[in-house]
Amino acid sequence: MSQPLAYFFDSLYLIKPETSIIGFLVLILLYDLIFKKEKWLPYISLFGLVVTLFLIIEQYGYNKFAFQSSTNFGMMAIDPFGAFFKIIILLSSIIVILFSILSKELDVARDRMGEYYTLIFGMILGMFLMVSASDLILIYIAVELVSLSSFVLAGFLKNDSRSSEASLKYIIFGGVSSGIMLFGISILYGITGTTNLYEMNSLLQNFDSTNILMILTMILIFAGIGYKISAVPFHFWTPDVYEGAPVTITAYLSVASKAAGIVLLIRLIKSTFVSQKDTFGYWEMIPAFDWQGFLIIISILTMTIGNFSALWQSNVKRMLAYSSIAHAGYILAAIAVLSDQGLVGVMVYFIIYLLMNLGAFLIVIVIKNKINSEELEDYDGLGYRMPLVGVAFTIFLISLTGIPPTAGFIGKLYVFIALVDAKMLVLAVIMLLNSVVSLYYYVRILKHLYLNKPKAETTDIELSFSLKLFILVLAVPNIIFGLYFAPILEFVKTSLIILGI
Amino acid sequence: MTELIYLTVLLPLIGFLINGLFGSKIKNEKIIGTIGSGAIGLSFIVVLLILIETLGKPADQRVTIVTLFQWMKVGNLDISIAYQVDQLSILMALIVTGIGFLIHVYSIGYMHGDKGFWRFFAYLNLFIFAMMNLILADNFVLLFLGWEGVGLCSYLLIGFWYDRKFEKSTTASAAKKAFVINRIGDFGFLLGIFLIYMTFGSLNFTEVFTAANHIPVDESVVSFIALFLFIGAIGKSAQIPLFVWLPDAMAGPTPVSALIHAATMVTAGVYMVARCSIFYAMAPTIMMVVAIIGLLTAMFAATIGLVQNDIKKVLAYSTVSQLGYMFLALGVGAFTSGIFHVMTHAFFKALLFLGAGSVIHGMHHEQNIQKYGGLKKYMPVTFITFLIACIAIAGIPPFSGFFSKDEILWYSYAKGNFLFWLIGALTALITAFYMFRLLSLTFFGKERFDKHHVHPHESPKVMTVPLIILAFFSIVAGFIGIPEVFSGEGGNQIKNWLAPVFADAHSKKITYGMPSHFVEILLMVISVAGAAAAIWLARHVYLTKPGLADQIANRMKKGYSVLLNKYYVDEIYNKLIVQPIYKVSDGFLFKFTDVKIIDGTINRTASLIDLFSNNIKRIQTGVAQFYAIIMMIGIVIALFWIIVSLI
Repeated sequence: MSQPLAYFFDSLYLIKPETSIIGFLVLILLYDLIFKKEKWLPYISLFGLVVTLFLIIEQYGYNKFAFQSSTNFGMMAIDPFGAFFKIIILLSSIIVILFSILSKELDVARDRMGEYYTLIFGMILGMFLMVSASDLILIYIAVELVSLSSFVLAGFLKNDSRSSEASLKYIIFGGVSSGIMLFGISILYGITGTTNLYEMNSLLQNFDSTNILMILTMILIFAGIGYKISAVPFHFWTPDVYEGAPVTITAYLSVASKAAGIVLLIRLIKSTFVSQKDTFGYWEMIPAFDWQGFLIIISILTMTIGNFSALWQSNVKRMLAYSSIAHAGYILAAIAVLSDQGLVGVMVYFIIYLLMNLGAFLIVIVIKNKINSEELEDYDGLGYRMPLVGVAFTIFLISLTGIPPTAGFIGKLYVFIALVDAKMLVLAVIMLLNSVVSLYYYVRILKHLYLNKPKAETTDIELSFSLKLFILVLAVPNIIFGLYFAPILEFVKTSLIILGI
Repeated sequence: MTELIYLTVLLPLIGFLINGLFGSKIKNEKIIGTIGSGAIGLSFIVVLLILIETLGKPADQRVTIVTLFQWMKVGNLDISIAYQVDQLSILMALIVTGIGFLIHVYSIGYMHGDKGFWRFFAYLNLFIFAMMNLILADNFVLLFLGWEGVGLCSYLLIGFWYDRKFEKSTTASAAKKAFVINRIGDFGFLLGIFLIYMTFGSLNFTEVFTAANHIPVDESVVSFIALFLFIGAIGKSAQIPLFVWLPDAMAGPTPVSALIHAATMVTAGVYMVARCSIFYAMAPTIMMVVAIIGLLTAMFAATIGLVQNDIKKVLAYSTVSQLGYMFLALGVGAFTSGIFHVMTHAFFKALLFLGAGSVIHGMHHEQNIQKYGGLKKYMPVTFITFLIACIAIAGIPPFSGFFSKDEILWYSYAKGNFLFWLIGALTALITAFYMFRLLSLTFFGKERFDKHHVHPHESPKVMTVPLIILAFFSIVAGFIGIPEVFSGEGGNQIKNWLAPVFADAHSKKITYGMPSHFVEILLMVISVAGAAAAIWLARHVYLTKPGLADQIANRMKKGYSVLLNKYYVDEIYNKLIVQPIYKVSDGFLFKFTDVKIIDGTINRTASLIDLFSNNIKRIQTGVAQFYAIIMMIGIVIALFWIIVSLI
């Protein structure tokens, strides 16, 4: 066999998880076309995700390029860092599919669920590519794949005007951002003559000053990424889309697609702009672009505007949308440290964010199923009518605020440690103050649940056993990981291997 | 086997969870009691098996660290949930689970019919869980968690009958007092832990103590560490000046007083100081402080005990006094003797409290000894066991108290000075006196209770059997510590057993030549004779010539009322500390700082944030084109800002 062909087959072997996702995507599509039986679709999807999860775990230790070119760099980087986030994406997909089975909101569209799951698989494929891509062309395609699938999903409830409006806004905004990003990419190609991040890195090594064109391209490309992770000022679509889209999709966008965007950003910085790493894990940056200053500003803006906008929201879903913007700000702060310790912060935060944010959305879905509302004032007294839901919601919200003994505290703690170790005290203090502000709107929900009296006479609301179990499965780890977080840290540290320097 | 040590922590926790979560649904007292006691009984068996295994190992291999999991690792700080199984912790674990088990069983009878029966057992199990963490911990953080845990359980159990009156206020305020005063001690303890971490860069026992032993450290630093830790011990073990909470802690059910406020928790301070013996050995000044505080407390509390009329109060002051002895032992460098006294005291003091509980139970919750009398014939088992305990605490050979107390007195002379011995021996006489005063007034003499309403009766088997077992150990427990003057060189078993734990501390401390055996036996004879005389005197005053006590009290009115009012310590604290703090916090901190400055600032900030967030909210117009424009403006500003910053 000739050399390139051997490379190619090697690469196919390396992208087994992606292949599996494509396979199940096709399977779901065909099953839906042929059998028209909605009932089994989620289970096929879950099966597909579990198989993929298994494949990822199997290739967890790999650290090499797939689809290598002649220069020894490839289109995709298959490394433990990527595998870590693929696992996060898969776990959130599994949880979201379980949500979709439960959600009554989707009942109006039960006959179109084949499309729904197909699109989710499309999104997963896109996110997997975003996580692994090390080539600008692939990055762009991956971002577009995720966007296109999510546009449709956001507007999945065709008959709901809010859902349609959300979808339309999402498309307009997505179009603008991806246009800007593509513009940036083309200029970057013009400067360097390559689309591969690693090749670019070796070209940039002898750069010793900032370059205005470089700044322009990076800010333009960041517009595309910032839109995915809803960083200020690219966040405007978030509240409207989160509020309008089905809750399941909102939950999904807030965790999985954000994770993919964050990885893309980290990989872009790490592969392209780092010249070497010192013994403490701090990255020495190529001075082409001041990433640290830029990220600090963006992160402060993001967390502050996210939190402050959430203060007066009366729709819980919309409040959680703003809250997720604020959390993106905290994560950006950890990236701004530009060190391995910062990455530990990001990764720990994501595991915990997955648990607490999806948990909070689950409660929103459960309550919406029962009382058909997401308005805060309709939550009055619900803590007594649904004790388990009340307690679990309390755990999730306390965790989101970051108060011990919940896992959220551990997440914030590691970000703080990274910031303080890097002597970025101002950012740490701003983050701390932001947490205080966030306490207000999280606890406001608790006030409605427990302290406000319901307007009308009410009865207790019963939940099914499986639902109770599901709530506990998300709530209990929020406490356990708050006390016993060594395994998370262990997992994060073994996953902290990024291909390259 | 040693690896199974986690069971001794886990089982009480499981017991707590079952009784705590489902106790109110189970309702059946037998099941709840069995779960509660069973968990502790099983733990005791595990500890016993570990002891047997450890005895089979050579002396230098008896330390095992059992790590369950790493709890947190931040920078240099590495904290594990790990248990150190060594001679000291095995001994403490035996005391805690063994006596704990007996008291659990006793409680099944004592708490019968109480509406909070399940809650009581849940708390007791939680207490054992925390206490086991405290004594087994291999680092200061876990020790501190256990320390706070037992404090919490103590609080919960003192205020267990939260709806009952206690003295001038409620049990809840007694609980609060215990909690607040312990907080003062804990503050010192925390400072000590911080200082240890700053000095040695670790909080792990093995690492810290090895470093302290080998690396030269400034003596003043070690002195501060030792002092801060001792402040923690003062709070938990009720020494001067923080002892005032323990007498009030008697508001809790009597088994609680026996378990927590006599046998186990209050000795945690002694344990902690003994565990950190190396620091004290390196700080002779602080050792002197420890010895003096212990001695003063022993004397001071004993004199108060002379005139108290509440049966549990007498025992409470006696506990404070005996704890003073233990610190005296630690202070003169006789760590083994201190721990030995912890053990014998646990037996006879638990027995005294449980006996008192049995009396209170039989007398329909009457606690005033002036209203007892002649109970011997009504409750024979309680009487005999109580008598045994009294002899033991009075220090009459060959009962257990004699061996441990005499060893302390001997070392306070040999390693301290004659004054230490004199005050210690005097205290022993006073102790013998007030214990037999208590015994005489309760079980002998005229029946002074109202026979129409009170019908004294012996307690059920479930309560008397633990008494008998404890009485047995109150007699024989001393034989593991026969002084070397009688048993020959190396004949003191407990000393041999604990020697490796304190080896480093002993090698650091300068010891002077020991006085001769003649002196030792002479002092022993004097103190035993004195105790016997005190017993005779007590019987003379309270039995042979009733009325003599009142005459003496009348003649020395002032002294008597000072003692009866416990030297007015509570009143002095109230005037000197509590009231000024109230005044400052009400007048300045609350009305000015809190209302004006803090509330004012927060309200202003809140309205500012309100304004800010209302304006931010308005940007979100819902018009997509507008969003796109803002995004473009954002990009332009970012570009502009970075380019300007370059120029």
